[in-house]
Amino acid sequence: MKIHIPENKKISPFLVLFLIHANQIGVGVLGFQRPISKEAGYDGWISILIIAVAIHIIMWLILKMCSTVDGDIMSVHEFVFGKWISKILGIFVILYLCLTIVAILRSYIEIIQVWMFPSLQTFWFSLVFFILILYLVTGGFRVITGAAFFSVIIPVYILFIFLLVLPYADFTNLLPIFDHSFTDLLKGAYTMTYAFAGFEAILFFYPFIKEPIKAKKWAHMGLLLTVAIHLYLALIAFAYFPREQLQKNIWPTITMWKIVQMPFVERFEYIGIANWCLIILPNICIPLWASGRIAKQIFGIRQKTSVAVLALFCLAAVSLFSTRTSIQKYVSFAGTAGFYFNFVYVPILFIAVLIARRVKKNGPSS
Amino acid sequence: MVRLPKILTLFMFSAALSGCVEKSILDDIVLVNGLGFDYCDGVNIQATVVYPDYLPDQPPKDKTFTGRARMKKTVLQDISRQTTDPVVTGSINTVVFGRELAEKQGILDLVDSFHRDPRVGSTIFLGVIDGTAKEFLKGKYGIRSTGEHVAKIIEHNIKHEDLPRTNMQRFFSDYYQTGKTPFMPLLRKTEAGNVELTGISFFKYGKIADSIPAEKMFFFKLLSDKYSEGLHSVKTKEGEASVRDIRSSHNFSLLQQNPLKIRVKIKVNGIIDEFNGEELNPSTVKSVEKEFEKIIYEECMELISRFQEKEIDPIGFGQFAKTQIRNFDMENWLSTLYKDLSVDIKPKVTITETGVIE
Repeated sequence: MKIHIPENKKISPFLVLFLIHANQIGVGVLGFQRPISKEAGYDGWISILIIAVAIHIIMWLILKMCSTVDGDIMSVHEFVFGKWISKILGIFVILYLCLTIVAILRSYIEIIQVWMFPSLQTFWFSLVFFILILYLVTGGFRVITGAAFFSVIIPVYILFIFLLVLPYADFTNLLPIFDHSFTDLLKGAYTMTYAFAGFEAILFFYPFIKEPIKAKKWAHMGLLLTVAIHLYLALIAFAYFPREQLQKNIWPTITMWKIVQMPFVERFEYIGIANWCLIILPNICIPLWASGRIAKQIFGIRQKTSVAVLALFCLAAVSLFSTRTSIQKYVSFAGTAGFYFNFVYVPILFIAVLIARRVKKNGPSS
Repeated sequence: MVRLPKILTLFMFSAALSGCVEKSILDDIVLVNGLGFDYCDGVNIQATVVYPDYLPDQPPKDKTFTGRARMKKTVLQDISRQTTDPVVTGSINTVVFGRELAEKQGILDLVDSFHRDPRVGSTIFLGVIDGTAKEFLKGKYGIRSTGEHVAKIIEHNIKHEDLPRTNMQRFFSDYYQTGKTPFMPLLRKTEAGNVELTGISFFKYGKIADSIPAEKMFFFKLLSDKYSEGLHSVKTKEGEASVRDIRSSHNFSLLQQNPLKIRVKIKVNGIIDEFNGEELNPSTVKSVEKEFEKIIYEECMELISRFQEKEIDPIGFGQFAKTQIRNFDMENWLSTLYKDLSVDIKPKVTITETGVIE
């Protein structure tokens, strides 16, 4: 199945950086320091470097796969498994994408409920949010790319806000370095897979890139940017909190804002959390668009219909969770699913593509 | 134009959404800025809140309310029963604890809610009151509201005087840091009805373990803060000089393990603010420097041995040792290892200027 995308719907290669990066940075970045330090202590930054190498390898596999079949994940499936199995696998991919949408939106709403408005109702907020998302997604992939671009550019100032935390930072917390075994570091790296998930988005929008060969560089740069931001936030949080205090905080990144006082605003977290709405926008747009597109390919319906149906499905799912424990369970399930998708399924698929290519080359039919 | 209905729907929903959450209008809430806790009967605690009451065409007047209950939030509920508007804790500047409470019952159960509550900032000041918090907060000090007034006093003493840097975040970070003892400034209401900073109290397991007077704060700040400022007077045979420490820094280094030996280098850069002797020539400046170094050495050593005796470690030698020694035995730190620790203080005082006259 070779789909032709009109040239005017494609995006420039450098925008891949923003798409990848925007889809990676979501709610995970607000609280990744705690699980990582639970496993790897304050050597957690080494775990981030380990996982960084891993995601670069996976990204390389994904790009290789996509360029082999010159298409998205559905083309890969079809190339390897044929038409019917690829449809079944496509349904699983849709489920996975919906899983991440619900996880991101529900954890973001939880943050608003805990930090700002305890009486905010999940359903009504999600409804309005999904209307906005539908508006963006029906605008097409280029509109989503625009949203991703601005969700990276506009909140850049937040990175500088963290410098105001430095007077309270004690970097000797990081000493002694290499105080943890390699297994601890790997465990820490495993906890980071949720925060770093999202780069697999390129599997879905690969056909929309003009000159995909040039985009490879930008995809890797997007990953590097994500790693740099996580490393920055991890080091600041490790210096700001003693280890036991970090273990108490569910969202260390937000808790650090509590120390920031500016003449015109007493506390920064209200601005920060409100601004985060912009950051999670592409996190929901991209998977929803991708799942809508896959549904369109499987069932042969219009993308507008498929996206609307999936949005309704996610809206219903988001409203199901009401307590911290259930949200936590769900998010960690989504995290595990992300791990298996990115770090188990993608490599298997890659090997399958290699085998399929060899078989097809040597096969009598071609 | 096809998009217009869509945009209108969006606006409609956002308008409806803003009605979904609770609003807090400044005139319709009790915006507490100071909170105090006192010992009451061992089970309950007594809390006092102070807030500015905004009156038409007048400066705001401080009002206080007192309530009693088992936990902080329920005390606030008890207080809410007395107020006309809901009590809001978002703009608290100062939280103080009566000394009796801090000595007998401990404060740990109380501070949990400040840690947990997202509405309370991390920059609020914590303090211990010599006397009761209720009496302290009832006082009328200056034009600002009491909570803000106390916060200002602590703040400028940190910036320009001898008080080591402190606020809620630093208290918690010391508390959770293994090998460090948290502290709070000690305040009192003077007979004349003012607020005075009288020293520092150190906490062990949430209870006051020791307090030092204001005169010793300068030396404690030298040891505990990486960079500090302050003022101290030095008596030499030529006369008495008051030395303002403009910028000082300390540096820890581990000399040996088993038993632990730590060297603390203290560098003080100061200027002479006042001198009541005959003449301030280079040799007198030298002798002021030498004398000051001697005082720093003696006072710091005294403080350290005092802390060792009380089994508290506010300077953070344990924290330092932990960063230097792999698999450091933190379990036995305060009970045994700390007592055998020997500290070598190496002060270095440089008088850079002596003012506009000689």
